[in-house]
Amino acid sequence: MFKLKIVVLLSLIFSCSLFTDEPYVDKSLLNEITDKHGVFAKKRFFFLQETLDSVKTKGDLEKLEAVNNFFNEVRYASDMKVYGKNDYWATPWEFLGNDKGDCEDYVISKYFALKHLGVDYKKLFFTYVRSTNFKEPHMVLTYFETPKSEPLILDNNNRKIFPASQRKDLTPIYNFNGDMLDEADKNNEKSHKKWDELKLNMQRKKI
Amino acid sequence: MTLFKQIALMLSLFLLIILATVLILNFQSANKGVQDRLYEDAKNTATSLSLSLGSANGDLSMMSTMINANFDSGNYRHIMLVDVEKKNLYDRVTESDITAVPKWFMSLIDLKAPIAHANVSAGWSQVGILSVQSDATYAYKQLYAILIDLLISFTIIALVGLVTLNLLLHAILKPLKEVQKQAAAITRNEFITQNKVPYTKELADVVLGMNNMVSKVKAMFDKGNEELKAHKELEYIDQDTQLRNRKYLIDRLPAYLKADASYEGGVNMLISLSGVIEANEKLGRQNVNKLFLKIADVFRENTKGIKDSIVARINGTEFSLLLPNYSNEQAIELAKKIQLSCKKIINLAELNSRETFISIGLYGYKYSDNITKLLSRSDNALAQAKFNHESIHLEKAEDAVEVMGKEAWKLLINKAIEKDRFTFVSWNVIDTKTKKLSHNVLSINLTLDKNSSYNYAQFMAPAIQSGLSNSIYKKIVDMLFRNSSMILSASTYALRLPHEYLENKETYHNISELLRANAALLPFKVIIELPDRLVRQDSKLIREYIELFRKYNISIGIFEFIGDSDDYQYLQDLRPVYIKGESSYFLTQSDQSLSALRLITDTVGISLIAVGVTDLETLEKLKSRGIHIIQGKVTEMLNI
Repeated sequence: MFKLKIVVLLSLIFSCSLFTDEPYVDKSLLNEITDKHGVFAKKRFFFLQETLDSVKTKGDLEKLEAVNNFFNEVRYASDMKVYGKNDYWATPWEFLGNDKGDCEDYVISKYFALKHLGVDYKKLFFTYVRSTNFKEPHMVLTYFETPKSEPLILDNNNRKIFPASQRKDLTPIYNFNGDMLDEADKNNEKSHKKWDELKLNMQRKKI
Repeated sequence: MTLFKQIALMLSLFLLIILATVLILNFQSANKGVQDRLYEDAKNTATSLSLSLGSANGDLSMMSTMINANFDSGNYRHIMLVDVEKKNLYDRVTESDITAVPKWFMSLIDLKAPIAHANVSAGWSQVGILSVQSDATYAYKQLYAILIDLLISFTIIALVGLVTLNLLLHAILKPLKEVQKQAAAITRNEFITQNKVPYTKELADVVLGMNNMVSKVKAMFDKGNEELKAHKELEYIDQDTQLRNRKYLIDRLPAYLKADASYEGGVNMLISLSGVIEANEKLGRQNVNKLFLKIADVFRENTKGIKDSIVARINGTEFSLLLPNYSNEQAIELAKKIQLSCKKIINLAELNSRETFISIGLYGYKYSDNITKLLSRSDNALAQAKFNHESIHLEKAEDAVEVMGKEAWKLLINKAIEKDRFTFVSWNVIDTKTKKLSHNVLSINLTLDKNSSYNYAQFMAPAIQSGLSNSIYKKIVDMLFRNSSMILSASTYALRLPHEYLENKETYHNISELLRANAALLPFKVIIELPDRLVRQDSKLIREYIELFRKYNISIGIFEFIGDSDDYQYLQDLRPVYIKGESSYFLTQSDQSLSALRLITDTVGISLIAVGVTDLETLEKLKSRGIHIIQGKVTEMLNI
């Protein structure tokens, strides 16, 4: 009888912890986003939360699929148009709040959403690539199942996820993962200029 | 500590703290800048090298070559490549040997060059992470150079700052120094009015306040001075003949009748005019007064050349001519001359010279006589003269029974000077109000052996007669300053210096040499007493003495004061600590005269001391007149 009580108590604690999972965007931030970007923005975040919740317990591939599909719905717009700057790495809240952004913004939002879903960040890389179709610099999010396996490409131009070998239109230039660089030297707060700026904006909850 | 020093110290400290803080902050900022630069350099290398390594397609030998090329061409401490599983693929480390920077500096500045990381990939696949750390040697050198530069510039700034601060403080506090000078002068009872009123309001208020106070005190002093001068006329001058009066003679006589008087003796000539009633009847009062004036002129004329003589009208018909250092023969001759002159005047006034005539009594006095004796013997001589055919009678003083002859004294004193046989003895001067010792008065004894010695009164008169008094004073002043250990108590001692000694040519030089060598070492405070008769002359010599004594912090006292000056300004200039007068002087002064004197002395902080107080009755009388500091035999009866 005593054992049964313990089991019930533990299962209650477990179920409570499940229900009290932190949302991707907390309520106060959501209110601020609503104030700034309007009620549709709120809805977009609501759908994002729904999307994330729907794959929370699924495998990495389903999570990749859902996140990639969700963010690829956002319209492409240059940084100059949205932020009046040549190159700007927007926070996920700015990106979805504005409902537009350029390739780095897709990568950033996808990265943090997948990280939130529990995908190991060491498998995710920001990859500078050259698009042979558009003949211009581009960035995609790459997913490495194992460090030595062929990566999957999460691209905003080509909305489907393909293994790298099937993306002949992309020439890889440089991979980087800010969290990994931060982890390599925990004493140093700096690792990558753009990444450092982004981290700061994230801390300040820039919307 | 002066205000200037306090402010200067505080501001200097403040300035140095600020400069030190700025220096530290500057250095810290430079340190951070250098460290940031180290990281930026490492980061740039890591990024560019990682891009280059990507082109090696995972070929380790190629990547190692690239790393070597970079490592050798730049200032790096460590370059390391690890694979995705954090396994070391290749690394290069350099051991830096910093000789250009002192070791203390390196131990003081813990410079850690930050490590920059960059991902390395080959195509789509991950190679690992590249870590680059710059060499801190250059940074140490740079920081050390910065520190030296900062120290030099801040030292210059600090020096310039401190000098400027000093100059500024001097400029700002200059008026305060003037205020301080004025305040110090007021403390010393000097009345300085500051004409330059400072710009700073607070200081200006203080200066105006002090000026106001000084002018009031000065006005009080001037009022006292005027009153005392006016009273002097009433106290000491015979209004009909403008000669001195009996009171003046009585007050001055103590200076002539003492052991160390300037003269061994002299003659007191008492002159009486008989037949004044008849003259009044015949000529009328006004004409008789004119007759008196003419007779007074005769007295003045005939005593003009006699040093320190006193001509006084004792009463309506009697006059006294005190002729110090005058022999009986000279006095008789003078008496005859005066008698003849007066006879002529009487005859010219068409009076009967058998009815109206003068009688002259002469008394050859000695310094050892007292006032009563001098006056009674003079009276006696005059009484005899009145019955004398010639109307002149000389009464000689009895020859005192001398202990020893003049030559024997001379020999004894000379030997005493040579063999250092003088010793100090001291007498108390007591403030009866506070029941405390005011100071000690020094006197000297001539000691022959354990059983026999002569006191001052015994040996000083023969010494003066033998012309040895200056040598004795030279000796005792020398003893006072050079062998100050003879006086054991660390109290205040007063030494009286006579007129003749002070006027001696060598004295000033001797005293100044003694003070220069010994004044700072004296274990007690010294008051030098100067005779009023000398100091009120305001001579060059007296000013020099005053300056000399002030220079060595020796106080000045005045003795034999009888308020006989035409102006008391000298008391303000001299600022003695006290004035000593005979007790009879203080007792016989009118209330107005004494209060005028008090007004003067109180405004400049001078004490009044009565000397020669022998009994308690006199002491009480003096106290009732506000004279509380006492010198004399009575002090032996007082408990303090």
